[in-house]
Amino acid sequence: MKGITSILKDKFGEVIICAQKTKDEFPTLWVHGDHIIDVLHFLKNDVDLPFKMLYDLTAIDEQARKFREGQPKSRFTIVYQLLSFGRNAFLRLKVPLISDEPSLQSVTSVWLSANWYEREVYDLFGVKFTGHPDLRRILMPQSWEGHPLQKCHPARATEMGPFQLPDSKQEREQEALRFKPEEWGLDKNLGGDELMFLNLGPQHPGIHGILRLVLQLDGENIVNVVPDIGFHHRGAEKMGERQSWHTYIPYTDRVDYLAGVMNNFPYVMAVEKLGDIEIPDRSKVIRIMLSELFRISSHLVWYGTFAQDLGMMTPVFLMFNDREKVLEVVEAICGARMHPNWFRIGGVAQDLPQGWEKLIRGFIDYFKNKLKEYDKMIMRNSIFKARTVGIGVYSTEEAIEWGITGPGLRATGFDWDFRKAQPYSGYEQFEFDIPTGKNGDCYDRSLVRVEEIRQSLRIIEQCLHNMPEGPYKSDNRLTTPPRKKNTMKDIETLINHFVQTTWGPAIPHGEAFCGVEATKGHNGYYLIADNSTSSYRTRIRTPSFPHMQLVPLISKGYSIPDLMAILGSVDYVLADIDR
Amino acid sequence: MKWWTSNVTNPTAVIDGNSSFEETIQKNILLTNMDSMVAWSRKNSIWPFNFGLSCCYVEMATSITSKYDIARFGAEVIRGTPREADMMVVAGTVFIKMAPVIKRLYEQMMAPRWVISMGSCANSGGMYDIYSVVQGVDKFLPVDVYVPGCPPRPDAFLEAILLLRDQVGKEKRPLSWKVGSQEIIKPNKVSMKDLQGPERLKMTEIRDPDKL
Repeated sequence: MKGITSILKDKFGEVIICAQKTKDEFPTLWVHGDHIIDVLHFLKNDVDLPFKMLYDLTAIDEQARKFREGQPKSRFTIVYQLLSFGRNAFLRLKVPLISDEPSLQSVTSVWLSANWYEREVYDLFGVKFTGHPDLRRILMPQSWEGHPLQKCHPARATEMGPFQLPDSKQEREQEALRFKPEEWGLDKNLGGDELMFLNLGPQHPGIHGILRLVLQLDGENIVNVVPDIGFHHRGAEKMGERQSWHTYIPYTDRVDYLAGVMNNFPYVMAVEKLGDIEIPDRSKVIRIMLSELFRISSHLVWYGTFAQDLGMMTPVFLMFNDREKVLEVVEAICGARMHPNWFRIGGVAQDLPQGWEKLIRGFIDYFKNKLKEYDKMIMRNSIFKARTVGIGVYSTEEAIEWGITGPGLRATGFDWDFRKAQPYSGYEQFEFDIPTGKNGDCYDRSLVRVEEIRQSLRIIEQCLHNMPEGPYKSDNRLTTPPRKKNTMKDIETLINHFVQTTWGPAIPHGEAFCGVEATKGHNGYYLIADNSTSSYRTRIRTPSFPHMQLVPLISKGYSIPDLMAILGSVDYVLADIDR
Repeated sequence: MKWWTSNVTNPTAVIDGNSSFEETIQKNILLTNMDSMVAWSRKNSIWPFNFGLSCCYVEMATSITSKYDIARFGAEVIRGTPREADMMVVAGTVFIKMAPVIKRLYEQMMAPRWVISMGSCANSGGMYDIYSVVQGVDKFLPVDVYVPGCPPRPDAFLEAILLLRDQVGKEKRPLSWKVGSQEIIKPNKVSMKDLQGPERLKMTEIRDPDKL
C-alpha cells in the first residue's frame, strides 16, 4: 500500500513543503497554511482508511530554537496530530507561520473539536484563527496580558512582581467573571419563552474540582451548557521548558493527580525515544504493575464519588477504604501515596522491596471478592440504573469526531485500547480483555470502568507470576540519575555522574511523541529536545480536555440531576483538563 | 474543666460510688466561665467548608473516610456553602484566576472563621513558581495553620485540625458587641519544627527502603 506521505505528495504537490524525520517515526509533513483545510478535509473524508480523529492541535514558538535543520523557516509552528483507526497510525502535519502577529484559517469547519484546541493556542501563543466561532481566552483569565507559552513571556511568578489582591482588583476580577449571555453567544429567549441562566461553579461540591459551567435552562431542562475552564491552569507545559529532563518527572505526577505514576509513564518513554535508551525487562514489568495499581485506585475514586453524585452515601466510604489498601501497597513500594514520582528515565527509581510478592498477593486476594459486592450494591441497583441508563448518550462516530479515548470510547462499542492496538512497554505479552459497552450512555461507561478494574487485577497477577530478574535500570549514560556503582573506581564515570546529577543530561535534539492508555483515556507527551538539559517544548495531550468539550453536546435536553450523572460518568480531573 | 462519662460496657443501671449528694452534684454541675464554655464548644465542633482546589483535596476527602475518620475530632459536618461553615481548608494550588473567587468565598463565611492552608502550593506556591499561581494563599487571606506536604497525608491534615482546635480553644473573642473588649486575642502560633525538631534529630537510623 502507498504510504500516506506519497499519497499526499501526489495529490497536493507543492502544498506539501517537505517531510521531517522524527524520533517517534510518525510521518511528519510541513504543509502550506493556505491549503491546510483542503489537506485536512481530504485526510478526514476522502483518503482510504481515513484519519478520523483530530488527536491533538498545538503550537511551537520557534524563536529560540537552535537545531532546526531541514525544516522550513517558521516563527510559530502549528502542529496537527491525526489518528487513523483503520491504519492504526498517527500522522503529524505542521504549518509554518512567519509573521510576528500570526494568523491561520480555523479548521473548526473540518473538526468541531478543533474549537477548544484553537482557543488554547490563541490564549497561550497568540496565534489568531480566522473563521473561528468564538475565539476567546480559554485557560488564562480574560484580563490577562500576553501569551504565556511564548518564549518572551516570563515563566516564574516571582519574575512578575508580588501578587496583590486589593479590593479594587477583587471587584474588577469579580466583574470580569460576571456572566453575560451575549458574550458567550447564548440567547435569552427560546420560542418566546424567557430562559434562565444558572451559574454552577467554580466552587460546587458536585463538579469535582474548580470548573465553572453556565447552564441555559428552560425550566428544569438544559438548553445548553457552556464550560468555563482554566481555573486549574498550573503552567505544566511551560514548567517543562525550565526543569531538567529528570526534575520534570514530579510535575507529570500532578497532571492527572489521581493516577500517580501512570503520568510518569508517557513522559519517560518519550524521553527514552529521544535518547534511544533501551530499558531492561524488569523495569518494564514493574512500570506496568504500578500503573495498573494506579488504574484501580483512580477507578475506585471515580466509582465511589460517582455513586455519591447519584445520592448513595455508603459506597464512597467502602471504595476509599479499598483505595487505602492500594495506596498501602504503592507506599510500601514507592515511598509515597498520591505522587510517588517513581519512574526514571531509563527505568524506575529503585528495585522492588523484599517481600513485595506477599503484599501484591494479599491485595489481590482481599480485593477480588469486593468487586462482586459492589456490583450488587451499585451496578445492579435499580435506582442507579434509572439514573444512568439512556443518559448522556453518544455514538462511536461522535466520540471519534470529538477526540474521545479510553473508557468513554469503549462504552460506545468500539474496542480500541492503546495497550492492545499500539502496545508499549511489553503489554503485548499480557492476557487481558478489552471491555466494551453498547449504548455509550452513563451506565455503559460505568460498566466498562468496573470491568477494567478486573482486567487490571488480571494484569497485576500476571506481573506477580512473571516478574523478570535483572537490573531495574538501564546503564545508558543518559539515564537519570545514573547508576553509581562505578563512580568510585574511575574518573570518567565520576565526572559523568556529577554532571548528570547536577545539570542533568542533555538529550540530543529531535522530536518524539509517546502516549499511554491512561485511566481517563489516551495521555500523550510530545517533546522537542534542542540539545539542552531541558526540553524546548513540552506538550501534554490529556484526555479530559476533549472529554469536557463534549459535555455540552451530551447534556442538552436533560435535567440538572442528569447533568451530575453525566459529569460523573465522564470521569475527568481538573488538572487533566487545564494542566 | 474536668468531665467524664460512664463506660459504655457498664450497664446504665449500675452507678459508681455511693450516690451521695456531693457526688451527684459533682457529676451534673459544671462550673466555668462563659468565655471558656463558648471556646470549648467551638473547638469541639468545627464545621469545615467543602472546598478544594486540587490534589490536596483528595487527601482531605480521604481524611473524612473510615480509616482516618475526622468525626473523632468533631469536624465531620462538611458544609457545601461558606455561609454555614467555620473553617476553610485551602487544599491545593491557589491559581491567579481562582484567587478572587477564593477571597469571595472567604468573605462569605461568618465570623468566627479560620483558615487551614493545606499543602506546599497553598503555603508558598511550592513546586509551582509559575505565571498562573499565587505564591501562597497568605498573600490575601489570614492563615491559622499551615500543613506541609505535597500532598500532606490525611494524618498530617488531622494533626492540623488538632492544632486548630487548640488555638480555637485558647482564643479570646468578644461575647457580644456591648460587653467587654472587642478585641480578638489569638494565642501565639507554635512552630512544630521547634517543638518536635530536637526529638526528630535524635533519629540516627533510617529504615532500609528495600525492606518492608
